[in-house]
Amino acid sequence: MSDTTKGPGLLTAVREFPANVWSSIFRNPLPSNDLERASTSFTNFFLHVHPVKVDRHTLRPLYTLGLGLMSFFLFLILVVTGVLLMFYYVPSTTQAYDRMLDLRGTVAFGIFLRNMHRWSAHGMVAVVFLHMCRVFFTGSYKKPREFNWVLGVGLLLVTLFLSFTGYLLPWDQLAFWAITVGTSIAGYAPLVGKQIQFLLLGDATVGQEALLRFYVLHVAVLPLVLTLLIAIHFWRIRKDGGLSRPEASAPAQAVTVTVTAVAAPAKEKDKKKVYGLQGFVRGPFTKVGNVPDNSVFSWPNLLIAELFVFVLVVAAILVLSLMFNAPLEQPVNVMHPPNPAKAPWYFLGLQEMVSYSAFWGGVGVPGVFVLLLLLVPYIDRKPGGVGRWFASERLLANTIFLTLVLVNIMFIIIGTFFRGPNWSMVSPW
Amino acid sequence: MAVAHGSHEESGRAGSLPLAETMNRRRMLGWFTGFGLFGSAVLSAFSNFVFIKPRATYGQPARFGIGRPEDFPPGTRIAMDVRRVCIVRDGNRLAAISTTCTHLGCIVGVADTGFSCPCHGSRYDQDGNVTGGPAPKPLAWYKISLAPNGELEVDKGAEIAPGTYLDV
Repeated sequence: MSDTTKGPGLLTAVREFPANVWSSIFRNPLPSNDLERASTSFTNFFLHVHPVKVDRHTLRPLYTLGLGLMSFFLFLILVVTGVLLMFYYVPSTTQAYDRMLDLRGTVAFGIFLRNMHRWSAHGMVAVVFLHMCRVFFTGSYKKPREFNWVLGVGLLLVTLFLSFTGYLLPWDQLAFWAITVGTSIAGYAPLVGKQIQFLLLGDATVGQEALLRFYVLHVAVLPLVLTLLIAIHFWRIRKDGGLSRPEASAPAQAVTVTVTAVAAPAKEKDKKKVYGLQGFVRGPFTKVGNVPDNSVFSWPNLLIAELFVFVLVVAAILVLSLMFNAPLEQPVNVMHPPNPAKAPWYFLGLQEMVSYSAFWGGVGVPGVFVLLLLLVPYIDRKPGGVGRWFASERLLANTIFLTLVLVNIMFIIIGTFFRGPNWSMVSPW
Repeated sequence: MAVAHGSHEESGRAGSLPLAETMNRRRMLGWFTGFGLFGSAVLSAFSNFVFIKPRATYGQPARFGIGRPEDFPPGTRIAMDVRRVCIVRDGNRLAAISTTCTHLGCIVGVADTGFSCPCHGSRYDQDGNVTGGPAPKPLAWYKISLAPNGELEVDKGAEIAPGTYLDV
């Protein structure tokens, strides 16, 4: 209140109010030079997950195909549409199916939101799987990214489990029998199988308890687990030195910068000092050693790429949801299993194997397969062939993986199109 | 943290104690703390499992009445799909055979030759023995008894040897 520290007048305060609020939130103006570009990525909560600069190789669309980002954006769509659907859904055997009909009939955009949720869920399973294939075929699980591959396998499993728990919620014939079959497969696990089945269902058979349990898992437990895993997965990308890239263009993880280039205390002026990437945020960018600088600023290069993938994903889901309605079959009739009773498509490979042997098809082979997936980076420790698709050094590993992928896809195709009543071979034509 | 802090004060007060002794006390307290925290974590995880494992289920009871013997004429095989059991009457003998497929829990249909499962094509003969498909074991037979009030009672909690009939 003293006269000596008189601030701007009321009129000025009003005039500058919008700009003041803006700069109090964002601190930085829209970037117009490299310092501000770096600063923007650095000071914004939502952007600081990005590095300040990324390698050009990371931005090549044909290298990553944007699959990891697509999975993440599909997850975002699923969270938003899922929360909206929760406003109307009731996890009760007597009401759930009616609520599905209400979504179709009376709720504004109800059918559209359900379509978006369903197609995003199918899409996420497919894209997460393809993302895993990309990471494998480019050798990106190798040191130092071994553990992020393990986290990725965890993400795939949680995604499948999320999809599986969501499958029961409409409480139609498809849901009921798919879950009956699916949880019986769990019952074949050695020693703890029956207990797991009982814990999942909360009863001897699929009923109200199972519906409630699957609902809680689907809307609370598993999304939280998935969010946590995604956070660690993203964090590890940064800590493991960014996306994988060919050996030639990979810079050292910490770089030596001459201190004169950055604002530093005078007495240290002539010392050499090791800086992390944060070092770049102050002062002009310094060329490091003899490595040609192959990186560009995240703002706007990486952000535009991400925005492009986001728009693509949203557009694809919107178009699919406009064109195709999510299926809804007859309400549950415990007395009449549909013939054949099929699991969701991504489990049909499993179901096809299960039709030969319940234990080996449902537990043994998938269990060994998941174990092998988890161990991949610890088995294959040869350093070469990272950052290129189908590198010739990795011919053996890629061939084995491709074979397994193709066998899985073949089983899914057989289970989907070639199995008729009583699970007998039929021609789809 | 609290342990380290406490023992720091300790060593300040009892300055004459040999260093090894204070270190031992600090280490022991550290072990106790770690063990206590880890133990409580394990216990609480375990009690969560106890919590989500239901003590009583809300589904169908294991024992239930199905009607009087004359409701099941000789030579009939009547499937009670809600109860997931098939009542077989052969002359004056009665049996209750499970209609839950031993493969993956679908309800098997009653056919002339026995039972067949719509889900993965398991087939059983009239006594529930596997004749084809992926089913790993025969259909269960449940205890069937005549209650004092003249009603038949099936107990799905009691599996009996296949081929055991109730004479009425």
